[in-house]
Amino acid sequence: MKKFKNKFNKETITSVAYPVAFGILIVVLWQTQLLHKLIGTDTFTLPLPGRIFHIIGDNFGAIMKNVEATLIVALGGLVLGSLLGYVLGIVAAVFTKWGKGGLTIASAFNAIPIIAIAPIMNNLTKDFSKDPNVRSMLAKMLVVMLTCTVAMSINAYRGLTELKPYSEDLMKSYAAGKWTIFKKLRLPSSVPYIFTALRVSVPASIISALVSEYFAEYIVGVGRAIRENIVLSQYATAWAYIVVACVIGIILYAVLLIAEGILLKGRR
Amino acid sequence: MKKESTTKFSKICTLLLAGAMTVLTFAGCGTSSGSASSPSPSVSASAEASASPSASEAAGLYYGSAATAESVVKDAAGKGKVGNWGLGNEYEIQALLSKYGLPTTFLSQAFDMNGFDDDTIALASAMTYNELGLVKNSYEGGYSYGDKVKTIDMNEEGVAMLEDNIFTTSAFAKANPNTVTAFLYASLKGWEYAVANPEEAAEICYKYGSSVSADHQAYMADEVEKLVTTDTKGSAVSKIGNMDEAAMQQTLDLAKKYIKLDDSVAASKLQSLTLDDIRDTSYWAAASASTDGKFGAPEKTDISIQLKWLPDAQFMGYYVALDKGYYKDVGLNVTIVPGGGDISETTAVNSGQVDFGVTWVSNLIAANAGGMSLTEVAQIFQRSGLVLVYKING
Repeated sequence: MKKFKNKFNKETITSVAYPVAFGILIVVLWQTQLLHKLIGTDTFTLPLPGRIFHIIGDNFGAIMKNVEATLIVALGGLVLGSLLGYVLGIVAAVFTKWGKGGLTIASAFNAIPIIAIAPIMNNLTKDFSKDPNVRSMLAKMLVVMLTCTVAMSINAYRGLTELKPYSEDLMKSYAAGKWTIFKKLRLPSSVPYIFTALRVSVPASIISALVSEYFAEYIVGVGRAIRENIVLSQYATAWAYIVVACVIGIILYAVLLIAEGILLKGRR
Repeated sequence: MKKESTTKFSKICTLLLAGAMTVLTFAGCGTSSGSASSPSPSVSASAEASASPSASEAAGLYYGSAATAESVVKDAAGKGKVGNWGLGNEYEIQALLSKYGLPTTFLSQAFDMNGFDDDTIALASAMTYNELGLVKNSYEGGYSYGDKVKTIDMNEEGVAMLEDNIFTTSAFAKANPNTVTAFLYASLKGWEYAVANPEEAAEICYKYGSSVSADHQAYMADEVEKLVTTDTKGSAVSKIGNMDEAAMQQTLDLAKKYIKLDDSVAASKLQSLTLDDIRDTSYWAAASASTDGKFGAPEKTDISIQLKWLPDAQFMGYYVALDKGYYKDVGLNVTIVPGGGDISETTAVNSGQVDFGVTWVSNLIAANAGGMSLTEVAQIFQRSGLVLVYKING
């Protein structure tokens, strides 16, 4: 037990402390402007952290409104995309012959750039609601959904089909029906794969939410704020929103890891 | 052996079928978006609607041809259907909305006019020399509305802000006064020739890179000519490139009121800006007073100018000066760098990637508030080219 604890501590130090130390080093270099000298830039295009955090503090209310809009889009799209992806995975697992090839080709969807899908989604959702906020929210969510579907469908398919050796034969020898095998064997075996998919989808959902905001009809969101401020040469404010976007991504990823740790306790 | 070939065959079949399904899905996307974005069918449909017996119903859809600007703006804003591109192009629209006591929110308009065409946007932003031509005309890419649309002019409404100028950094101007003056002299000469011969200027622009059709280029040249030679009050401009004090001050005042900056340092800097912080008239005065274009040896001969948008007749003066050799005559080797989309011309000039730039005065003001030190050296467009366009009944 003690040995385990020591090992755990050592791992924590290497996996947490080093990155944190590196981060602190960067911030220190950044604030002391040594970083600017290193990469040959000025405090205008790369404002100092102090100023960036000052802006975040000054505009906390307005920033939160944008964060809320972005989070709704990212999480809404993530849920929709993951559900759809899982259903596709099940369909593929049931019709294995078709499914495998189909999924490979469906992964081509991931190659379509968001900037190409976003305007199409805007046009498709125009009749959905009279309120531009509602319909552009849906358009953005659909974009996020598309980017999250494929990762989930491929992983769900793998989780549902790549079973422990002989486990399926064992179930069959117990005379278990297809439904029972699905419920008792395939479904539980796919859970770790769901998290593998989410590890890809969660950051992707934030990125696609940010980018889809560029093209949305209704002006709101962290991504839109970044674009507006860069075009207006307000780099300090743009950086403030970039920091906020990073924080959203990190928090969501941390939440995912914690959830994974709790749900998969003792399984990995 | 035989079994293997059957599995192979079935695998190929599976792939083909799955491929076909994907292609169908894509095709579905294509057609549905195509019908939404292709202008001609919906245009003819609306034309039919107004001609059909149910015209009485269709007649109420849009605005009366005698409707006042105020009533149109109020109605469209009430429905939340005023459109603008945002990204620093929205201040005149917000000033107009405020003038009529309305909230300053607007819909984000795409760079095409499909939103206006399909009635998502009732009162759409358009530049007289670009989008308005596409809405009215029937050449390639046009929506053929002809006189079925009317416009609200920012100049007439008293909320005009000045647009295309020539600017550089204060440091570059101070270090290279001869280059700046010579560049202005040749550019102004190019503009003079272009506004006197818009047809030829359009052809020159088309030659240097056509983002639009030759017909639209010719339309653009005609409209740009009006902006260069008429001021915000509608009177003729005596000297091209003049920085009219009153119009500049109005631009600065509106900018202070409507440019919203989250950065408190930038916001207070914005409020403290005066005309002297954003423009320097001395280079233009020297350039326009000269008759021979001799200003002493230019300090820098290889220079570049960053355009605000794609290469077209909006920038015909520079292309004419290049094509006619006016830049060469003053000893300059000029490269014209086209913009487009999200290009930030202020950043490009500030960082020294290019020496000169064309931007809207409001963008320059925002950039200086943000910490840049840019200075305008000539004002090419003397009146606002921004209008709000709406459909009329009948």
